[in-house]
Amino acid sequence: MNVALKMDQVYRGEYTFANSPAAIRRFPLPFPEDRYMYSVNIEPHVAGPKGSVIEFPIDCDEHYVEECRERAIVIQQDPLRIQALPHMMSAQWDTLELGMQSLSQSYPDQFTLTRAGRHWHWINRPLGLNQHFTFGDPASLPQPPLEYITRQLQGDWVIMDQRDNDLWVEGGMVTGPADWSMDFDMGMSFKEWHGPVPLGHEMGVFDRALKFLLNLRLNEPVRRYNWTMTVNPNLDSSPHNYPEWGPDRTSVTLENVARKLHLRTELQGLWRLPRSNGIVFMVRTYMLSVGDVASIPKWARRVHRVLRDLHPALVDYKGLTRHRPIAVAYLSQFDDGSPTTPGIAPE
Amino acid sequence: MLITGIRSKPVYAPLQVDLQGRYHLMVGHGVGATPLLRLLSDFRTTQPDALTRTRVWYVADAQVSQGSADALRATNIAELRSFTGVDVLLADLTAALDQALMGTRLYVSGPESFMGLVMRIAQQFNLAPDEVRAEECGTMARRVHCIHCRATIENVRTNIVECSCGRWIVVRDHYSRRLAAYMGVMVDAEAPGERPEIKEVFL
Amino acid sequence: MSQSHADTIPVRVVAVEEVTPQIKHFTLQSLAGELPAFSGGSHIIVVMRGAQRVYRNPYSLMSSPNELENYQISVLRVDPSRGGSAFMHEQVRVGTELEIAHPVNLFGLAKLARKHLLLAGGIGITPFLAQLHDLRMSEVPYELHYATRSPQHGAYCQLISRLEPQRSRLYHDSNRHFIDIDGLLSQQPLGTHVYVCGPAGMITRVLDSARTLGWPDSHVHYERFAAPPTGAAFDVRLQKSGIDLHVLPDQSLLEAIEAAGVDAPYLCRGGVCGFCRAEVLSVDGELVHNDHFLSNDEKASGKSIMPCVSRARCSTLVLNL
Repeated sequence: MNVALKMDQVYRGEYTFANSPAAIRRFPLPFPEDRYMYSVNIEPHVAGPKGSVIEFPIDCDEHYVEECRERAIVIQQDPLRIQALPHMMSAQWDTLELGMQSLSQSYPDQFTLTRAGRHWHWINRPLGLNQHFTFGDPASLPQPPLEYITRQLQGDWVIMDQRDNDLWVEGGMVTGPADWSMDFDMGMSFKEWHGPVPLGHEMGVFDRALKFLLNLRLNEPVRRYNWTMTVNPNLDSSPHNYPEWGPDRTSVTLENVARKLHLRTELQGLWRLPRSNGIVFMVRTYMLSVGDVASIPKWARRVHRVLRDLHPALVDYKGLTRHRPIAVAYLSQFDDGSPTTPGIAPE
Repeated sequence: MLITGIRSKPVYAPLQVDLQGRYHLMVGHGVGATPLLRLLSDFRTTQPDALTRTRVWYVADAQVSQGSADALRATNIAELRSFTGVDVLLADLTAALDQALMGTRLYVSGPESFMGLVMRIAQQFNLAPDEVRAEECGTMARRVHCIHCRATIENVRTNIVECSCGRWIVVRDHYSRRLAAYMGVMVDAEAPGERPEIKEVFL
Repeated sequence: MSQSHADTIPVRVVAVEEVTPQIKHFTLQSLAGELPAFSGGSHIIVVMRGAQRVYRNPYSLMSSPNELENYQISVLRVDPSRGGSAFMHEQVRVGTELEIAHPVNLFGLAKLARKHLLLAGGIGITPFLAQLHDLRMSEVPYELHYATRSPQHGAYCQLISRLEPQRSRLYHDSNRHFIDIDGLLSQQPLGTHVYVCGPAGMITRVLDSARTLGWPDSHVHYERFAAPPTGAAFDVRLQKSGIDLHVLPDQSLLEAIEAAGVDAPYLCRGGVCGFCRAEVLSVDGELVHNDHFLSNDEKASGKSIMPCVSRARCSTLVLNL
């Protein structure tokens, strides 16, 4: 099978996605303790331990090339996954600058950025790209700036305008969402697009988060974690193709749950953008099969307990209703009740 | 997945005169005439000279008796226009807003789907929430956007509806002002054929 | 969550120009890599280390957001100065090294505006100078109306006439030629945003006129850079830190807290953004609210204070810091 075809089967079809042992250990487990409930949980997005997913501001891992290939497939089938309203052009350039500066500084062997005034030269070795262009001139790039750079970044990217004491989702590249549609949500305010999330509003979580983000400062990005579960390593679980991946939810059995069901962590990063004064929101997704979770004894006990005791509203909202009991049953065999250490370090 | 109780669902309130406004444009469809008549009467008692800077545009519909149109005509305001259809009103509204000045207030009354279309035009002119008032009146039937094939289904009164793409979709409360429609998602993707009972809920 | 602004940018002053007897124009270059890109309307906090005190004053960036070899600011010498503007005028020369914080924008252009109406008074012209660069490249119509005391006091009048002959108008108090605020605000198309930066009286007139003429608050933008009001000295106890400090008459509460080595949060330092809000535990006297953030009820409740501009008439104020 040729390389291109193989790469097409990673996140769809035959689902050949797999994590190496190193990738398993570096997975950002979204549970620092044995229970889970929403919180604002925002922290400064500063450098984390070497080798971790937060060592660099924008993480490129062993799945980089295949994930970029997956993105290209999604866009080809549904071009409306990449959009930006006309007034967001400066935010697009801000995001391109962020992506190129970050990658070239973090991974100098793979990415090089050279600048002479507005003449920029970008080299992306893993994807074989070599591009001269004029910063600020969309015609000098093969695609508009947001599309151009996000085709070379893992994770979904959303750009927001700040006005009227609110944030508005008005552009983005969203090819790997956990059940939300940027096309539908385009133009919504912060609380409108979080409308479908249960409990958070009553808890005041979104009020506090919005207030905080409105004061987000240049050069001081923040991050938080979110999570859900996916049947098959299906990155693109958007409402649009729900008819295709929805049925998978009923296909989980005790026999196949270890390889089929995946824990899915979102590392969310937020940066204030310099020229547009907007905010860019990165949703970087990591998937780990339940079987791989179980291979780390502390994680097996931890995840068993979190899933077992999860609030029913969250079970419903995160789409876990059908397969949660199976996951809990499977993981229970690894839980001897012994305590777990706080934090996510694999033990 | 949350179907109801979603905070993007628009919330409406009875129309009230905005005395801070200098120019008033009132737009109504069908039974929406009633709140507009009430509004005009409120102006008469609080700020009568505002009526010299007030325009009322109205589209009657089959259900509404001639009485409403007559009642509006009897109010004797600066400008009253009767439209034969919503599309014509919307086109003229765009032209009117293009010429309007800061200090203008827009009042809308009628079925939600009508208001959604008017609000979408208002947004093109960067009208702030303070500059627009909307009162829903008449049928609660919804415009629905099928998230799978992206078709718009008009006048949906039931909790689930069959889309032209062949899927049965459930109508959520998640609302897009840009599309002026509620999201519809396939109801039986996980268990084909297992659909809830059809009920008329948006009457 | 870190609140400190430890991450400042060291800069050197590479040019100082006296624009008018009261206004000096400073050009700053970075001593550590590039200056960050910014959006027109942004300001920087300049940290000035005087002999006895540290001053932190906000100044609008007036240079082009597209030219990042240097930042340019203009400083009006305020009389009497609490020290910051005097420091800039007397102590800062070519070669002086300062620190600046990253740009913050509380006065940005509305991206969905169908027209921008810019009203500037005196030194308030500075944020608009940066914004003109972005406006010139957009398709959206705009007008700048710039009022100064006299042509001699008008910094940048000639520059503006030259750059924007069609879209700007100059007014001089000395000619009894004033901006017709009511006239302007009553003739703008729907979707216009108005921006005002200048003396407090001018801002108040524009806000009042806009409200009377039916403008929604969301379409009226203003930026104030008044120095924090002075007042009688008083003592402060920071309950959480266990620190007692004294606020001098011409020192703001925030400055006194910072001088005591406490890393208090702040953003605009002008009483507008709410970021520095502190909880009041007790005061044997009354709070003097000088901010534009708290509601009347919140001010009356006495539970919160904005240390950047507000004070107290008391012996001791106790804060939950």
